[in-house]
Amino acid sequence: MRILPRRLPGEALSGHATRSGWDFPTRFFHWTLAALVTFSFVTGKVGESWLVWHMKSGYAIIALLLFRLAWGLVGSPEARFASFVRRPAAALAYVRSLSAGKRELPPGHNPLGGWSVVAMLACLALQVGTGLFSNDESSHEGPLAAKVSDAMVDRMTSIHGWNQYAILTLVVLHVAAISFYQWRLRLDVLGPMVHGSTSKRDSIVAAVLAALAVCATYWLVVVYPR
Amino acid sequence: MTRNKRFLALAVLGVTALAVQAQSPKPEDQIKLRKAAYDMMGYSFGGINAMAEGKRPYDKEEAARLADLLVQVSMVPRHFFGEGTDKGETRAKPEIWTHRADFDAKMDKMVSEAAKLPAVARTGDEAALKRQAKAVGEACGSCHDDFRVKR
Repeated sequence: MRILPRRLPGEALSGHATRSGWDFPTRFFHWTLAALVTFSFVTGKVGESWLVWHMKSGYAIIALLLFRLAWGLVGSPEARFASFVRRPAAALAYVRSLSAGKRELPPGHNPLGGWSVVAMLACLALQVGTGLFSNDESSHEGPLAAKVSDAMVDRMTSIHGWNQYAILTLVVLHVAAISFYQWRLRLDVLGPMVHGSTSKRDSIVAAVLAALAVCATYWLVVVYPR
Repeated sequence: MTRNKRFLALAVLGVTALAVQAQSPKPEDQIKLRKAAYDMMGYSFGGINAMAEGKRPYDKEEAARLADLLVQVSMVPRHFFGEGTDKGETRAKPEIWTHRADFDAKMDKMVSEAAKLPAVARTGDEAALKRQAKAVGEACGSCHDDFRVKR
């Protein structure tokens, strides 16, 4: 049974009782990811002595992405890929309805936002994946770099280098879109990412998945490379 | 290796390096030579660093051998950043030649930190080796940050 939401953010601003907030696992994933991506970006820039932290941050992001992948398969209804990955035509129709002046928030991700989520997850997966095989040609290398040829390491490192701009672009788009909804359309999208309700079933499933994601990551970056 | 023998080896290497510099190889050859030296530094320091990070089992003899090699090759690159070597197959930044004093200071720092490694490795003190490896790594990194083009 779903617990009643503490408040209906959509109602407060737009007059439509459209949704309760996101479940806790999704909110935790979102804000932790945002913090770690920022941290990774900065520690990747400021100099070699920070690369140790850059790598640790990347490992944490791997765990988060594994969790989100699993959460998208068996998680809360609104977090499941099946519920928000829509046909491109649906995304187009949604944009048209927005420009026609329709002002409402569908529950979960909207048909366009769903694709933004997929794009961000894919780019981040590419980033942590290539990071595992990258090196800085001196004292730092990803845990799997020793397993492949130098030519492959170079290729991975170069992808790791330019893909950061793909991520940056998506993040800027994301923040712009959120601002547009929040302050132009006056639809509260920030509130549901702060407050929300989580069913008991979801809490238990999320705890199990989180533990599995951490174990899988530990195996990938510590046990397997040995 | 005894102190005298080591001193002799360093002296020979130093004289060779000077002689090589006096002959002044073509810029493209200088670039090749310094790259080769950095590769050797990567090999020798990489092995020590892997031990320090627990990625390779600690081995006192091997650490000492690699440290000796590192000391020798660490003194090579500085002689091959001559005129005209800012162009070509290199990731050396032009700042090396416009901020030469800073570059030389960072090079000195790296060489002097590397020079401490053999003695530390021979004590068999793993924690001390870890500390000194970190100091060397930071010395390498501070120069790369300012003077090497990122990939």
